[in-house]
Amino acid sequence: MNKVLVKDGVVVRQKTDDTHADSPDFPQQRGCLRGRSQRQQVFGADRLKYPMKRKNWKPGGGKKELRGKDQWVRISWDEALDTVSSEIKRISNEYGNEAIWATGSGEMTKVLSENGGCTTDYGTTSWGAWYWAPTMMGVAEGWNELGINDRIDLRNSQLIVLWGVNPASSSPGSPTYNYLQAKKAGAQFISIDPKYTESAQVFDADWVPLRPGTDHALALAIMYTLLDEDDPKNNPLIDWDFLNKCTVGFDKDHMPKGADPKDNFKDYLLGTLDGEPKSPEWATEICGVAPEDIRKLARQIGSTERVALLTGWGPARINDGEGWVQAFSTLGFMTGHMGRSGKMTGVSCHRSSGNGGPWLVKPGSSGYTSPENPVTNKVNHNEIFKAILDGKYHQKGEGVRKANIQLIYHQYNATLQTRTSINDGIKAHRKVEFVVTNSYNLTTNAKYSDVVLPVTSEWEREGGLLTGNREILIAHSNIVDPLYEAKSDVWIAKELLKRLGKDPKKLYPVSEKQAFFNELATSTVITKDGKDYEPLVEITAKDIKDWNVDGKPQKGRIALQEFLDRGIYQVERKPGDNYGHIAYQDFVENPNEQPLGTPSGKFEIYCETIHKESKKGWTEISPIPKYVPKTVGYEDTFDDWGKKKKGKYPFQVVTPHYLRRSHTVFDNVPWLREAMPNPVFINKTDAKTRGIKTGDTVMLYNDHGKTLRPAETTETLMPGVIALPHGAWPEINEEDGIDKAGADNMLTKPVTTGLGTSGWNTVICNIEKYKGEPLKEDVKWEQRIVFPEGEV
Amino acid sequence: MAQMGFFIDVTKCIGCKTCVVSCKDKNDLEVGRNFRRVYSFESGSFPNPILRHLSISCNHCDHPTCVENCPTTAMYKRKEDGVVVVDHDKCVGCRYCEWNCPYGAPQYNEALGKMTKCDTCLDLREKGEEPACVASCPMRAIEFGPIDELRKKHGDNADIEGLPSSSITHPNIVIKK
Repeated sequence: MNKVLVKDGVVVRQKTDDTHADSPDFPQQRGCLRGRSQRQQVFGADRLKYPMKRKNWKPGGGKKELRGKDQWVRISWDEALDTVSSEIKRISNEYGNEAIWATGSGEMTKVLSENGGCTTDYGTTSWGAWYWAPTMMGVAEGWNELGINDRIDLRNSQLIVLWGVNPASSSPGSPTYNYLQAKKAGAQFISIDPKYTESAQVFDADWVPLRPGTDHALALAIMYTLLDEDDPKNNPLIDWDFLNKCTVGFDKDHMPKGADPKDNFKDYLLGTLDGEPKSPEWATEICGVAPEDIRKLARQIGSTERVALLTGWGPARINDGEGWVQAFSTLGFMTGHMGRSGKMTGVSCHRSSGNGGPWLVKPGSSGYTSPENPVTNKVNHNEIFKAILDGKYHQKGEGVRKANIQLIYHQYNATLQTRTSINDGIKAHRKVEFVVTNSYNLTTNAKYSDVVLPVTSEWEREGGLLTGNREILIAHSNIVDPLYEAKSDVWIAKELLKRLGKDPKKLYPVSEKQAFFNELATSTVITKDGKDYEPLVEITAKDIKDWNVDGKPQKGRIALQEFLDRGIYQVERKPGDNYGHIAYQDFVENPNEQPLGTPSGKFEIYCETIHKESKKGWTEISPIPKYVPKTVGYEDTFDDWGKKKKGKYPFQVVTPHYLRRSHTVFDNVPWLREAMPNPVFINKTDAKTRGIKTGDTVMLYNDHGKTLRPAETTETLMPGVIALPHGAWPEINEEDGIDKAGADNMLTKPVTTGLGTSGWNTVICNIEKYKGEPLKEDVKWEQRIVFPEGEV
Repeated sequence: MAQMGFFIDVTKCIGCKTCVVSCKDKNDLEVGRNFRRVYSFESGSFPNPILRHLSISCNHCDHPTCVENCPTTAMYKRKEDGVVVVDHDKCVGCRYCEWNCPYGAPQYNEALGKMTKCDTCLDLREKGEEPACVASCPMRAIEFGPIDELRKKHGDNADIEGLPSSSITHPNIVIKK
């Protein structure tokens, strides 16, 4: 969290959590470098000041090809809102409401839904294949439902396997510190990852490098070894009791109703039917892990009593990723590392990294409402740009539908640069009749728009609530008045509703201040016995009067003003308290009385639901975790797989989270550009064979685009793999099509597989030393300042 | 009072640079000026690499070459806690201290035309708070306190590969590696 010191309406300094003494059990919620640079974000010279429109825009689009490179003209709020509402009306009248696309989600989707509807988009974003598949087989997806134990129980694990888990870069704040307590308690760590991460370093983990998108093959080989070497008496590696009681589909004697017994997982693993055992020798060709290392992994995971088998969403952000989700989960089932202290198998990332369980403190609700969207067109992320360009897309569960999107309304997201193929996205943005973005910087979305509406940052709004992990609730409240002419999204929504002839009070019956008050009043905290929830905030009659809002006095755990002054409420934890969590414990202890929500009531190694649902999707998924080569995966780096002859694009690309940014946000902040220079990482041996040295400007390219970065050569990355940090704002030279910023989605191919998964980590490319002028450091680039101070 | 110093636990540092940016925020440092810096070192080879990050500011040395070579005596060591600070009334911005310091601690302020550096957040310490870098570190890898106490607690090592030898200036820093 962050606190600020304000003088004369300007933040002069920040600090982090100091509301209580710091300890491992009851840690301060310390922010990362991005939070510490937030005043540069809010008060930066490149902050958008006024509503503006593209000089060469006119109804119907004007010179559409100039989007992204036109001049900006300052306009008034009245003109801006009139223009946006007129275009909404004109386009919906002429083409129908399906022609309007509201990107992501937010206030504008509500406005457009109220106005008759709009096309929306959906996809697996951060989750990858963990988005839909896991709940079908009975396991948690890792965000709304958590499949791991809480952080204090993690200290009971003897072995912690971080399979694509890197809290040091992906979960800044407390998680890495929490894992460190498990290390202090004696845990050994293994890191399975294409990159030797800072997490592997700080936990002194054994690193098992593997190729991106090949985790599935490795998991199968580990399970093969468990089966091959297990001896229940002398060398127990498999928890047969767990398998038999808690799962279906492992062997022919434990199949779900209606399934063909010969389709069991065990026979697949042994190659009984297809003649191909999924042995370490089979897997090594795919994943690159030596057979003896695979066997070692199997022995460690299988023979250690209390293992935390943890994965992130990153390994599942691949094409054809559902089988990996099935395989990883099945490894947990076979070893029985679930439902007991120190034993857990599941997703461990983001706000819940290393810390699973229900929220101990919950935010309340604002009282705002969301209307139903009459338009049912929902386009998968990988098809959205193609839908605009080609006029059709796949409606999940139905089939091909026509599309004629003419208006793009960007909400608080970075759609243009965080969907596959930025180049396709730009073409799409130059085809439609109108593009509008709400933003506070000239983001990529804003840059390619016709009208940009300047919005307030959280510091300029009434306030709101944020959960950073299960133990805390952060209350951010107004810090400064809106800068320049910035307005909140809610204000914009209300103004548009008026111009569209709708009553703003229907969606926004209360003021923003009342909404914030409502959220505070309805927040709850766990009771001391850990069994129920009670009001968090104590509110007095005086509070209600001082705030000038509607409400009723109530008792609570913390006084309203104190909560706002502190900025946080944190449940104090200690070992043995009533707030711990063991994932799936109830089910594992009583599988028959406490069944899971699956058709069989058990974990489904054989999952008919996944298979059936995939027929409504894009590619068919087997009910059991059968290996399929991933589209644009390792196998695709070869012209001839049999002869191992490499092709045009011999390298695989992974796109790790990068501490300069939260996805794309903060990429423009000078302090962060200075602190985190954003190189592309390449293995030292690979670099040497291409004559590349650290500091050289290199070009990465494939059929979809070209991008530049300074190279950083390293021994911490698997050969054949390039790590291009996620989220850089593209800066494309229109003459040669080369992006100089290292924007990751210059290289991604728009592919949809399985249930609709996005595969950001199944990308292939080539790399060469750039022959043009070397890049200057990012921090020395010009900022995107539209109206410099003193200019109009 | 005792000589003050920093302890840096390299085994816990993940190189996130929160200490660097919190220091920049606290001291309002523009791009190019950094009172605290994080250096990353890599050794070993695939698949057994060694990765280390080291956060360094001013080590408030026993034999500070910045003080010894300051022509105007602007750079001096406070008697009360051994903290090295700049007297801006005397500083002419000649940058000799910058050239002399093996750790890069003195940082030139272009706008001011004078040297600036880590002063252990004297203003925060006077209010009973810790230096910004210590209070902000997510991994709790930085400690500040009397150097004698830090040495008693963490040992007296002040060297690590990549850092100049501690025999040059006898820095008041303890490094766990």
